[in-house]
Amino acid sequence: MPPDFTVSRRAFLIGCSIAASPLLTPVTFAAAKGDNRLVVIVLRGAMDGLDVVRPFGDKAYAALRPGLAADAATSPDLDGFFALHPAAAPLLPLWQAGELAFAQAVATPYRTGRSHFIGQDALENGTGGADGALTPGHDGWLNRAISQIPGATAETGVSIGQQRLLILDGAQDTQHWFPVIESPLSSQGQSLLDTVNAADPLFAKPYAESQALARTMTGDQVPRNGIAFRQLGTYVAERLTGPSRIASFSLGGWDTHHNQAKTMAEQLADLSDVLLAIKDGLARDWSTTLVLAMTEFGRTARENGTGGTDHGTGGMMIAAGGALHGKKVFGKWPGLGENALLAERDLMPTGDVRAYAAHALRGLFGVEASALEGVVFPGLDRGTDPGLLL
Amino acid sequence: MEPASLLEEIRFGYGPRAGTTPALGGIDPDRVLAQLTADDPSGAAWGRPGIADRYALFDVYRQEKLAGKTGKDTAGFQLKALEKDDAETFTSRPATTSLGFFERLVNLWSNRITISDASGGIARYVQSFRDEAVRPHIAGRYADLLKATLWHPGMLTYLTQTNSTGPHSKLGLRKGIGLNENLAREFLELHSMGTGYTQGDVTQLATLLAGMNNDANGPRVDGRRLEPGLKQILGAAYGDRDPAAEIDRLVETVAQRPETALATAHYLARHFIADNPPADLVATLAAAYTANDTELTPVYRALLEHPAAHSLERHKLRSPQEYAAASLRLLGLSGQETAMQGFNKHSMQVPAALARMGQPVFKALRPDGWPEVAAGWMTPPMMAARVDWAVDIARATGDRADPLALTDFALGPYGTPLLRRAVGGAEQRWEGLAVLLASPDFSRR
Repeated sequence: MPPDFTVSRRAFLIGCSIAASPLLTPVTFAAAKGDNRLVVIVLRGAMDGLDVVRPFGDKAYAALRPGLAADAATSPDLDGFFALHPAAAPLLPLWQAGELAFAQAVATPYRTGRSHFIGQDALENGTGGADGALTPGHDGWLNRAISQIPGATAETGVSIGQQRLLILDGAQDTQHWFPVIESPLSSQGQSLLDTVNAADPLFAKPYAESQALARTMTGDQVPRNGIAFRQLGTYVAERLTGPSRIASFSLGGWDTHHNQAKTMAEQLADLSDVLLAIKDGLARDWSTTLVLAMTEFGRTARENGTGGTDHGTGGMMIAAGGALHGKKVFGKWPGLGENALLAERDLMPTGDVRAYAAHALRGLFGVEASALEGVVFPGLDRGTDPGLLL
Repeated sequence: MEPASLLEEIRFGYGPRAGTTPALGGIDPDRVLAQLTADDPSGAAWGRPGIADRYALFDVYRQEKLAGKTGKDTAGFQLKALEKDDAETFTSRPATTSLGFFERLVNLWSNRITISDASGGIARYVQSFRDEAVRPHIAGRYADLLKATLWHPGMLTYLTQTNSTGPHSKLGLRKGIGLNENLAREFLELHSMGTGYTQGDVTQLATLLAGMNNDANGPRVDGRRLEPGLKQILGAAYGDRDPAAEIDRLVETVAQRPETALATAHYLARHFIADNPPADLVATLAAAYTANDTELTPVYRALLEHPAAHSLERHKLRSPQEYAAASLRLLGLSGQETAMQGFNKHSMQVPAALARMGQPVFKALRPDGWPEVAAGWMTPPMMAARVDWAVDIARATGDRADPLALTDFALGPYGTPLLRRAVGGAEQRWEGLAVLLASPDFSRR
């Protein structure tokens, strides 16, 4: 093993451009327009909004959830009607500060089935089709949104994780990074490799970008299935204090058909870690940040026979951030009575989750109304502004 | 059969394999085309269970899932193991084959006509799709390839065709359900024409396809979902009697369209020759396609005979799969070796490495498949993962390697003098090998 290797086993954060590192090019810092920031978290697996924010004020709730809501006594009250899942208690200070909100009974327009596959694609693509069929570009709504933001560059959007997220994929250039463990090579071997790559016009730039950034960063790999969710949040914040203004990543594990009490507690602990780490990492920039956590659909109102819930329709969105007008549960509550449920099983959706995203894009980045309803979410009726932002 | 030449291995295969002696000279179209009808000596070794053999397992898996059964003696566990072996076949079969051109074509057509496990639930079908819908038609008619892929259960599931229902069918009227245009659209957009059709054609085609199904009971059109009446598609009428035959008649018509000829020619030329292929090459291939009733072999011949195929310049970037296979071939490996020092659990875990390079096996992000141009593989994380692969595999195998001899074997006269100097200048043998494998020269074809 060559002893002169100084930055072995490091993680490095990589974008499509060397300018992704604020250490390298402070100039691009200034070039990024505006201070507002948006983080979109795709919660894969269909989060049970009725368990995260519990409608104890609805008479029907307790009977629908005899097992899951058994810990009612330890659920912190939010507004006299809804109470928070106990495992999300670390987020209570955000709620008190007006930096946390929820939108209940929201959904994408996808209605013809309850498939994760179609539902997540529909959520990320932003389609208006009830069958979840993708818009012709097969691209992501956040990508289309960035293309409509005045002054946006290839550095504005960043997709975090091993695979590029569909939500940020498309014609607009965006960044993509995830931590990679590098193997040791002697400095001389490294320099030979640099030389042969620099000589090839196709390779010179992308190769240099990955290697140069690698040399400016230290840290550890993020084990995505492990416990280091705080670290993930810290990395997201790092990107957003550089030239990036829009970041997206996904968190899986919400498909709670069995033993939901245990799984939900773990999921909410992880989600709380990520959100709080983003807040801490952003420091004063948190005040101009909005985080939206969306899921492909909700889950059945009734708990099932295995201590879980099955695929439903109406779901919930989580919003956080200093830019948020929070401490509020948004959305028109449809009720949980037998006749109020969709197909006698699901929370009836009363709002389009895309409308919240559209109003956020308008308020944070000035995306034109016509572009929101034409390009970003074709055919969307945004309706009146719910007042998500301060 | 006669071994391929070095340039044939590089441009039309997966690179030269250790222990073989490539033929002298450049591209010989007859020699390359002979692969299409040759017996594959390693075929038996890589034979995977077909769909008929898997249905029983799917069935048990469904029942056990309903019953909540878990553990090592379940069908779900067997299915996972089967899918893992399928994924390893994706890199190991190209790594060991002597018919590189054939395997490249299997990948190419499986990519143009994609089914993907990106969102789960499809992995169980992919190997059968490649082996049973694509592989048998490599040297046949494109029309037949289109029929086989359209009817494959993996395709019907992936593009959500199976529940598509004619709005005026029995089931449609009773339940108020309707069409899903997903497969109809991608068939026209990605698999065949690409241009020259309207949204009306898509909708009418979706109407024709309503009720299509294929499972353990075989391919059929479900009469309860069948939309009654005539469908007008691309200016011709298709009826409701013998619907399966009408679907095949439509596919035949679409395959014969000039737009399909052009799109297919462009796909081939872009894959093998350049990201922006020469217009005269595309036109030549399209003409060969049209003149031969969608037969593919004459199109391949036109490609192999064109001057662009013989160029000494290598314009294309190897995909991660091609890149990994080329490295394994150079070192005489299959990818399934154990006792590889420096790798986690001493295994190369090639599918995981491909994922880091941007190509998680059988999980193309969208129905248009993996990128066919260099830019799609060159984001910095993907580039870094190639370097990591090169360094890891070189470190594990290169202690006693002769990096200069390997450079000459891999690239012969096509490599740059700069690379040869750099490889020879490394401090250690394994580092010289790392420089070779992580060089642009080695990634180009």
